[in-house]
Amino acid sequence: MPLVQAFVFAAIGGVFGVGVTVAGRVLTGREAWSLEPVVTVGYIFALLGWLLGIGVWDQWAREWLGLPVEHRQHRGWARYFAFTTDHKVVGVQYLVTFVALFLLAGLLAMLIRIELMAPGMTFMGLGTYNQVMSLHGIVMVAVAVATIIGGLGNYTVPLLIGAEDVAFPRLNALSYWLVPPVAILLIGTFFTGGLDTGWTAYPPLSDVNAAGQVLFNLAVITFGLSSILGGLNFLVTIATLRAPGMGWGRLPIFVWSIFAASLISLTATQFLAAGLMMILFDRLLGMAFFRASAGGDPLLYQHVFWFYSHPAVYIMILPGFGLALEVLSHFSRKPLFGYRLVPGGFIAIVVLSFVVWAHHLFTSGMSDALHGPFMVTTELISIPTGLVFLSALGTLWLGRLWLTTPMLFGLAFVFNFLIGGLTGIYLADVPTDIHLQDTHFVVAHFHYTIVGGEIFALFAGIYYWFPKMTGRMFSERWGKVHFWWMFLAYHTTFIPMFWAGIHGMNRRVGDYPAELGDVNLFISVAAFVMGGSFVVFTANVVWSWVRGPRAVANPWRAHTLEWQVASPPPIENFPATPVVVGSPYAYGVPGAVHAVLTTAPAHTPAASGGAQAEPAGPALAADSA
Amino acid sequence: MVGRGRKHALWVALLWITLTVAGEAVVLTFDVLPPVAAEEGRVVDAAFRLLTILGMPVFTFVVAVLVYSVLVFRSRGTPEQDGPPLVARPLIAGAWLVATSALSIYVIINPGLTGLAELRTHREPDVVVQVEGSRWQWKVTYPRQQVTSNKELVLPVNKHVRFDVTAVDVVHSFWIPSFRMKIDAVPGRVTTVHVTPTQTGTEAQDFNLRLVCAELCGLGHSLMSLSVRVVEQADFDRWVSSARTATAADGERQQALAGSRS
Repeated sequence: MPLVQAFVFAAIGGVFGVGVTVAGRVLTGREAWSLEPVVTVGYIFALLGWLLGIGVWDQWAREWLGLPVEHRQHRGWARYFAFTTDHKVVGVQYLVTFVALFLLAGLLAMLIRIELMAPGMTFMGLGTYNQVMSLHGIVMVAVAVATIIGGLGNYTVPLLIGAEDVAFPRLNALSYWLVPPVAILLIGTFFTGGLDTGWTAYPPLSDVNAAGQVLFNLAVITFGLSSILGGLNFLVTIATLRAPGMGWGRLPIFVWSIFAASLISLTATQFLAAGLMMILFDRLLGMAFFRASAGGDPLLYQHVFWFYSHPAVYIMILPGFGLALEVLSHFSRKPLFGYRLVPGGFIAIVVLSFVVWAHHLFTSGMSDALHGPFMVTTELISIPTGLVFLSALGTLWLGRLWLTTPMLFGLAFVFNFLIGGLTGIYLADVPTDIHLQDTHFVVAHFHYTIVGGEIFALFAGIYYWFPKMTGRMFSERWGKVHFWWMFLAYHTTFIPMFWAGIHGMNRRVGDYPAELGDVNLFISVAAFVMGGSFVVFTANVVWSWVRGPRAVANPWRAHTLEWQVASPPPIENFPATPVVVGSPYAYGVPGAVHAVLTTAPAHTPAASGGAQAEPAGPALAADSA
Repeated sequence: MVGRGRKHALWVALLWITLTVAGEAVVLTFDVLPPVAAEEGRVVDAAFRLLTILGMPVFTFVVAVLVYSVLVFRSRGTPEQDGPPLVARPLIAGAWLVATSALSIYVIINPGLTGLAELRTHREPDVVVQVEGSRWQWKVTYPRQQVTSNKELVLPVNKHVRFDVTAVDVVHSFWIPSFRMKIDAVPGRVTTVHVTPTQTGTEAQDFNLRLVCAELCGLGHSLMSLSVRVVEQADFDRWVSSARTATAADGERQQALAGSRS
């Protein structure tokens, strides 16, 4: 069992790291035991041990020493618990892990709402509240960063571009196996004094609080590494492994969105890691980046942090845009409207996302001269974002709307993100932001963009590709129950939060004035109802995965490549490299073909001109109709 | 096809206008903002209302197209046919870009830059208050009056007040919701915020007349709040003289304490 080996190696590494630190401290005349340095060095070696144990040694590192590499590929269920390089397995690993984390952090949200049902500390203490709220925040941020890209992206991008796998399959497996240590560290914060700074970890508070902060920083730095490697892998995969004929002008829009998001993952995540490392240096080495009393500047961290963390919201939402547009086109039975404009919009968003960060600092006390420029750049982002709406609405226009569960989630995305986008203008505008910053208005706004936007898109994607990934159909009826239940409860929960924020409800508080009791009780009850919708989702997905009816290759009669192979696809994806000859969205265009697939690996289809007359997409679609 | 498209477009336009009129009526009738008690807060509220009025047609346009499409273009069961392969003609894409850019740039200018300019024009303050945040309480000092308090923040009505805000330990944030004004209290820095209270009142009358911490600062963050009382100038002077005695007594006590230690 690679998992057992990983834990054993991690334990050996951890003990070694702890031993080295204690020995080093004794030799330099310090007190032998100090929790924070010991944990930090211990963790670094435990992480190395964990990675070597899970498969890096057997399948990779031996190569560096000239030893034969063991290409042990597990079969059946075991491959999901091993260092598996198949992108489809990695995708499912990511998806299941992060949906489980989403449900877990959702339970933490329920605990938060229990506490906020009434003014006063009624359910947990102030310290516990801060920990629960902080953990909810950071886990959900991780879910938002990794679930679509790591889960659906890994599974579908190679299929959508006609490739056999990602460019660096072992790096891909490594990206995933960096995640379990992150989860263990975050849980570990509860046993080391807890994390009470929220996911933003502003110093000097994070310089002086309990040791849980150190575990948090190590966890997020590790997660950042995973995110950087993932971004690199997607960029190289999309740039180099597209099937013949799959030009940039024929890429499915979801692939474009993953490409744009990966540009940010690869180039911005380092800043978050740097900020968190500076906190570690302040704590462990007595440096003073952020301690004002020793000449440091707390605002420095806020700039470095948001230089990553604002682009990061586009890591979250760009794949949501791509996924929603993908689904809207297939289920409107129409070409994606303005297909050539949308990638331009994505790239414009990527560029602009790097020059808007200081709108998080309008009330921070930074120089007044920065307010105007950052307000301008922030509000300009609405222009490329508007192209996404043009594309969505133009795609629906005069279409044949097939209101399946994925389509309902795709449509809801447009509505929800509209509210998220419009309320964002109040926060980009300096005068209104001065009042609304750090209130529940902000909480409502980012839950509209990330939950209403990205998470609704995620569910669209999960239902859309469920037949492809599992080879089984989900229950359409229970899918629709989940949709309407979640959609209605979601709006009932978050609309009143705008009101609460405007009316004086600040963020990250467990207690609040009695006058805000009614609105909070209302929000809490709605939130509990919303929580219930995920029981329906989980039951439907689990039951369908085990007992659902077998899915045909192309139940949605979609044109893109992943639907032209069996459900689930064979290990090598395509029997022979497909040849792309047209748009992925040519619905309603007579005789249009996206790609030509040959079943015989012996023939290279590039030369076979005759096969192109046969419309591969629709022909395969007819099998299922 | 074009003819049918035009008919649908007319219906959507009608739906859009109806929704916009209804939406603007709701926005102009019901005020979502709580009572405001400072001149500067009125700038914030005006910007808020303008953004809502400007955002409404955008909201109703998307909703109109979305709702109309779902109701009219939906297919019962699996669609047998595909829809028409419409392309985004340069005219449509161009018009969309021009409209969204124009709106975006207008919003940047008004209420954005104009509101910012209004908030940045400061008069000479009539009263200066030094605010110091520490875990987990606020301390206010009136340097000209030589008064310090951590029980309440008392301000004279219709006087221009400048707050010099700082923190001793971690980042806090100075927020008085009824004034709409907020600025972080950062260790090692002094940040300023200007407020002109326009009416007398107490926290008991308006629960948002309180100085509350808006930046997570650890365990007691939720409880870090100081009552605000806006009074007539005469009452303010009376409060100053009584508080000065208390401050002086407090100072003497501390001096005595320091003396006994040394």
